[in-house]
Amino acid sequence: MSFTTNAKKLPAILLGTGLLLGGCSGNNSGPSESAAGTSPETANAGWQGTITMYAQAYTPNSKNIAGLKSQTKLREVADEYEAAHPGIQIEFVDEEFKDYTQTVRVKAAAGEMFDVFWGQWAELNNTFPKGIAEDLTEYFDKPNPYIADKATWKEAMNATVISETRSPDGKSYNINGDYVATAFFYNKNLFEQAGIPQAPTSWSELISATQQLKAAGITAMSQAPDYDWFQRHFLSDFFAKEYETIAAFDDSPGVSSLDQSVAIAKGLLNTSDERFMGWWPLFKSLTDNWKPDYLSSDPGVVSSTARNDFLAGKTAIFYDGSWLPENAKDAKVAFELGSFNFPVLTPADTPHTTGEDVSGAVGGPNAAFQFAVATKEANASMKEEGKKAAVIDWLHFLGTPANVEKIVNEHGTFVPTWPDTKPAESMTELANQASNKLKALGVGGSSPNLNKNMQRIFGLYLSGNIDFEKAKNDVQKELDAAIKEYQSKNNVDFSQY
Amino acid sequence: MAGKAKIKSALTGYGFILPTFVFLIWFMYYPVYQALNGAFTDWDGFNSPNYIGMDNFVRMFSDEVLRQSVVNALIWVALSIVLAVIPPFFVAELIFHLKNERAQYLYRTFFVVPIVIPGIVTILLWRFLYQGDGALNQLLDIVGLGSLKQLWLGDPNIALYSIILMGFPWISAFNLLIFYSGLQSITSEIIEAAKLEGATGWKRVRTIDIPLSAPQLRLIMILTLIGSLQNIIPPLIMTNGGPGYSTYVPILHMYNVSTVNGEFGYGMAIALVMFVAILLLTLLNMRLIKSDS
Repeated sequence: MSFTTNAKKLPAILLGTGLLLGGCSGNNSGPSESAAGTSPETANAGWQGTITMYAQAYTPNSKNIAGLKSQTKLREVADEYEAAHPGIQIEFVDEEFKDYTQTVRVKAAAGEMFDVFWGQWAELNNTFPKGIAEDLTEYFDKPNPYIADKATWKEAMNATVISETRSPDGKSYNINGDYVATAFFYNKNLFEQAGIPQAPTSWSELISATQQLKAAGITAMSQAPDYDWFQRHFLSDFFAKEYETIAAFDDSPGVSSLDQSVAIAKGLLNTSDERFMGWWPLFKSLTDNWKPDYLSSDPGVVSSTARNDFLAGKTAIFYDGSWLPENAKDAKVAFELGSFNFPVLTPADTPHTTGEDVSGAVGGPNAAFQFAVATKEANASMKEEGKKAAVIDWLHFLGTPANVEKIVNEHGTFVPTWPDTKPAESMTELANQASNKLKALGVGGSSPNLNKNMQRIFGLYLSGNIDFEKAKNDVQKELDAAIKEYQSKNNVDFSQY
Repeated sequence: MAGKAKIKSALTGYGFILPTFVFLIWFMYYPVYQALNGAFTDWDGFNSPNYIGMDNFVRMFSDEVLRQSVVNALIWVALSIVLAVIPPFFVAELIFHLKNERAQYLYRTFFVVPIVIPGIVTILLWRFLYQGDGALNQLLDIVGLGSLKQLWLGDPNIALYSIILMGFPWISAFNLLIFYSGLQSITSEIIEAAKLEGATGWKRVRTIDIPLSAPQLRLIMILTLIGSLQNIIPPLIMTNGGPGYSTYVPILHMYNVSTVNGEFGYGMAIALVMFVAILLLTLLNMRLIKSDS
């Protein structure tokens, strides 16, 4: 298979669109960390032992996690740390968890959580039980002893990401160092067969391409359209002018789950505003050209089958994350892979559009360099005197721009987001384009169940099993239930916003 | 045996059985006790639970997903019982009436061998069979019944039935052997007497075999009732309750509210209600199908 320039560019475009990766390109004055050996006032009180870490996609030398290529950088960083801290070992958990949320819940309840674990901000803020991860805010506000030229650790991090990923009460539970993108990937050979000379660049071209493919007897697309992903594209566009208003409810930058809940309660992001579901019929005009098999399915159940269908050349287009080119390479696909972004909409497509480029609204700081530290309640061994300090010290060591860059770029499908980091060569385009501030909007933060339930309604609507009015009523019920749950769990009074 | 020796012997017996009891209580009854307590709390699976009285039970009355789940479960139970009883009993009868004992043995083996295939494999296999371009639709095309092709798991009107009906021809080896052993236990005197009375063929099945298989029937119905209400794997793996909530069942709801939403208290309340419902249905079943053994 040959990867076209497009394929290399694409994830980037998407990705970028969001974060202030301002520092990604240029100004790479090189790592400013102090030498590994100069252990700071590691307040670990001489604690010695093994620190366990689940690093998800960055797990080094993995033998048990499907789809992971051989990686060594994180192990090298750990080796450096061990060499500088005799008596401390870093052990990486090499296991694949089919239901990670369940794993976290069970391990935490048993007091056996990993010392450092992969945890995405939305799950740490909303899904996992409160109290399983240490609040890292105080460490962000202090110097990282391994970064010599920054007064605080957070100065080395991406400020937008920190503000967007805070919990409703303003806490940061993970260090967040990378970014993922999404795009439409396509099979160039099938496009040629259908007489389509180039990738679609607008919504109407996308519709027309799927129609042409269908007419040629080729399955244009076949997957469960992920509600959470596509809502972010459309809502970020339709509500672009209200973004600042919505983001400001909690008095901090970025759209938090509190902002979302208040916006729902105030009627900004709910069905009383016709824009909120105004994209459903538009999107249905696209999915009507798809093979209907998975339209009403749970993406979690059918995504791997649908992806395999695409990699096997059975479908022409597949919407996925920036990891797909690696998957295709591993699968040694027999076709030429291309990609294109979610198009910029025009008033001819929908009157609700603001014409914003929202191709990067789906990706975001939700990749794999997302590490949290277990509390002593979730991990009984953290009660050992000095262990927490040792684990934080390891996190300090790991969380430097140089290490973020090294580890993220070795993996090759995500982009490091911290200033003073630069992306891997294949992601260079991304960094160059990543000049826009992330202004992604969506709902889902109010309740862990909200997006799952919305997905069910979305699927029934797209597959023609319910009409728009029924879908609208059901969606409003879900929104009402979600903010009610948010209110009771977080003791929030929406009327004060 | 002297009193002391008797006591010693009894203590030895109890000593041997004690570990079993300890584990039984620890792993089976203590969790039930915990669930009973947890049902009245807002436990999130990690932090200390707060007692909230009957709130979880009151919530069930307004839980539309639970309501749909219960309807689905009742359909599931009814069809499962039919499938668990009729095909295995029919095959057991056929095998039992074979004259050649070796043939009986071979057919029994033939039907029992598939039991070695793990259930999860069967489920995944059927998921592929049910796909839009899966074997089932291809078969319909081949035999000229293409108009009957369906999105077996994608259509909310038929997905539940697709899951319930997977496993064709529904010959449960376990149920088959139970029915077969029941037929074997009918004494030759009864069979001879029935013959003299002219009860042969279907008449014998109706008047002798079915009534005398009541203990087996009751056992299978109870086990199927419990099994189908507790069987979370097929809907979880095949559809995760979708499309919409068309294949949602109470046990899946319990699982999802607990593990996805972290509402273990509510999940335990659902479990408690399910336990009571299963108990009542089992008692009802035992009353309706009386037998001496």
